[in-house]
Amino acid sequence: MKNQNSKQLPKRNLIVTIGLVLWFLLILGRLVELQVFKHAQLKNEAIDQNRYLREIWPTRGTIRDCQGKILAQSLSVPSLFLARGKNEENSSLLEKITALKSLIPLSSREWQRIRNRIDNGDRFIWIKRKISWEDCEKVKQAKIPGIFVQMESKRFYPLGAHLAHVLGGVDIDDRGLSGVEYKYNNFLQGKKGRILILRDALHRKYDLEVIEPAQPGQDLILTIDSNIQYIAERELEKAIFENQACWGTVIVSRPSTGEILAMASYPDYDPNNFATAEPSALINRAIQENFEPGSAFKLILAAAALELKPDIFHRTYDCSIGYFSIGGLSIRDHRRFNLLSFPEVFIHSSNVGAIQVALEIGRDYLYSWIKKFGLGEKTGIDLPGEETGILRPPNSWTVHTLPYLAIGYEISVTAIQLLQVINAIANQGLLFPPRILKSLEGPEGIQKLPSSPPVRILSSYVAREITDNILAKVVDLGTGKAAAIDGFPPAGKTGTAQKYDPWLKTYSSSRHRSIFIGFAPFDKPAISIVVVIDEPKAGRYYGGEVAAPVFREIGRRVLLYLGEIPRFKPEKITLASSENWRNHHQP
Amino acid sequence: MVKRKLPKIEIFLIVFILFIALLFLTFYIWYQAELIRIGLENQRIQEQINQLEEDIKRLEVLRSSLLSPERVEKIAREYLNLTEPDPGQIIYEELFTGFKK
Repeated sequence: MKNQNSKQLPKRNLIVTIGLVLWFLLILGRLVELQVFKHAQLKNEAIDQNRYLREIWPTRGTIRDCQGKILAQSLSVPSLFLARGKNEENSSLLEKITALKSLIPLSSREWQRIRNRIDNGDRFIWIKRKISWEDCEKVKQAKIPGIFVQMESKRFYPLGAHLAHVLGGVDIDDRGLSGVEYKYNNFLQGKKGRILILRDALHRKYDLEVIEPAQPGQDLILTIDSNIQYIAERELEKAIFENQACWGTVIVSRPSTGEILAMASYPDYDPNNFATAEPSALINRAIQENFEPGSAFKLILAAAALELKPDIFHRTYDCSIGYFSIGGLSIRDHRRFNLLSFPEVFIHSSNVGAIQVALEIGRDYLYSWIKKFGLGEKTGIDLPGEETGILRPPNSWTVHTLPYLAIGYEISVTAIQLLQVINAIANQGLLFPPRILKSLEGPEGIQKLPSSPPVRILSSYVAREITDNILAKVVDLGTGKAAAIDGFPPAGKTGTAQKYDPWLKTYSSSRHRSIFIGFAPFDKPAISIVVVIDEPKAGRYYGGEVAAPVFREIGRRVLLYLGEIPRFKPEKITLASSENWRNHHQP
Repeated sequence: MVKRKLPKIEIFLIVFILFIALLFLTFYIWYQAELIRIGLENQRIQEQINQLEEDIKRLEVLRSSLLSPERVEKIAREYLNLTEPDPGQIIYEELFTGFKK
């Protein structure tokens, strides 16, 4: 019995030993498989489980006015997306979306888009981007599986439609589509970065490793002053409604630098809802609308004539006949004049006199001066989509072109070009290109942008003569009396253009465009203003009746706002206060 | 088979080594746990900073919106009953010191 047991013991030991060795070999083999053969794959899987490499979207730069007031800023907002689970059926996804529909508003178009994406078998589907925080909270509380929130950046324009055309707008991915948002998109958008996020077993972030830092977009400081912009927009809108006009534009600038202080265009839109804006409202009429300037063009004619013949100032022109005929064409004055001196031709805006001046200086000379003032080409303002205007070369002119040109027809300009012309006069012959961007602000600090060097296009003598003896008197004695500003004598020129009717192929006698260009005070210009009102239908249509009052109101308020000192002490002094209001309005 | 009695010094050494090993292991686990805890705390604070920065931005936008000239004028006219003076009347007293004679 003892022998039998002693024989069985080594055998049992052997079996156990072999079993243990096999078990050990099995474990060893598995370890080799995991550690050697599947090393790379498993390492990647492990990294995937607790490490996430993510792109960091840079913050889009802020746009401010010259006083530092925020005009456009990007803020974080939630977006909802649907993630399809492994082997998840379309019906299950549709059920989730249906449940969601009762929580947040989904249009039929959005619903259809989501359905199509589900039917296509997409794993990631945007449900609704950039929703409100309230809607996001509702969805979070509903805890629908597979529906997640991702933070995105949304552009906000706190002043609404204010300055819409200058700011432009962005698309759903915050890329600039128009205005300075488009023009300076590269500066504003910054550069994407990459970050490695380490998470624990509960998927909580516990460490971040910046692989490539994101560079935030640079802030833009514009030359625009939002208070002046408001004044310009308000007065423009008032004029449009009072005159039942189609559209209008106002530009206010500082002539000594070319800085644009305000650029208003009507109709306007809210850049917060850029995608739904009317296409016609998106047009920046200040730079994207070509029109015939009418008598406002006579300013260039006067400058060219004075440069060619300084003694022309003392000439007189017989305008008593009231019309001018050339090649079967008859151009009339707006009223009958007699003999007019050279300045009076422009002060009273006589077409007959202006045509005689134009014929005297000749087409080539006038054409060269039009080019000198920059008409027919872009001013180079830092806004996208600027129009060049239309200026035909002299070899394509007909017998009617020169007389028509003399009174501002057969040439198309933009409001910004007219501003450049008036600024050159205000600056005593120096032309500063207009600009919108004042400086850039980034992590390295403020980078001031130097203004382009001025170009002398006119002698200071001629510019002064035009200012003192023509433009200032247009407001004192001529067609622009309605532009007179109490305490700040301005200088300017009116313009009234009949609109061309493409159906009748002639100029319409019922559709006009009213223009006023000028600056104030005339002896030391602080501001220059261009006003264009298209198709006033309330009875008045002359530039001196429709556009000049807009110039006056804007000029008066802006000059006071800028702290300009009036040239004389006004007789009455009234303080704006509720006390005064009560005294005036209560019995 | 004769059982060998371990000398006290050997037992002490084994216990000491085991104790040191345990100490190291405990320290390592504590270190790892602490690292993650600090990391989580750091992340929480970072998120709080981001949130506060975002709130500042949001408030700046709100301030800009509340100070819009249109809104200020509306309040001035409708709630404070302020009115504009007639054209030609200067309302800024500060200017009077600098009039030209």
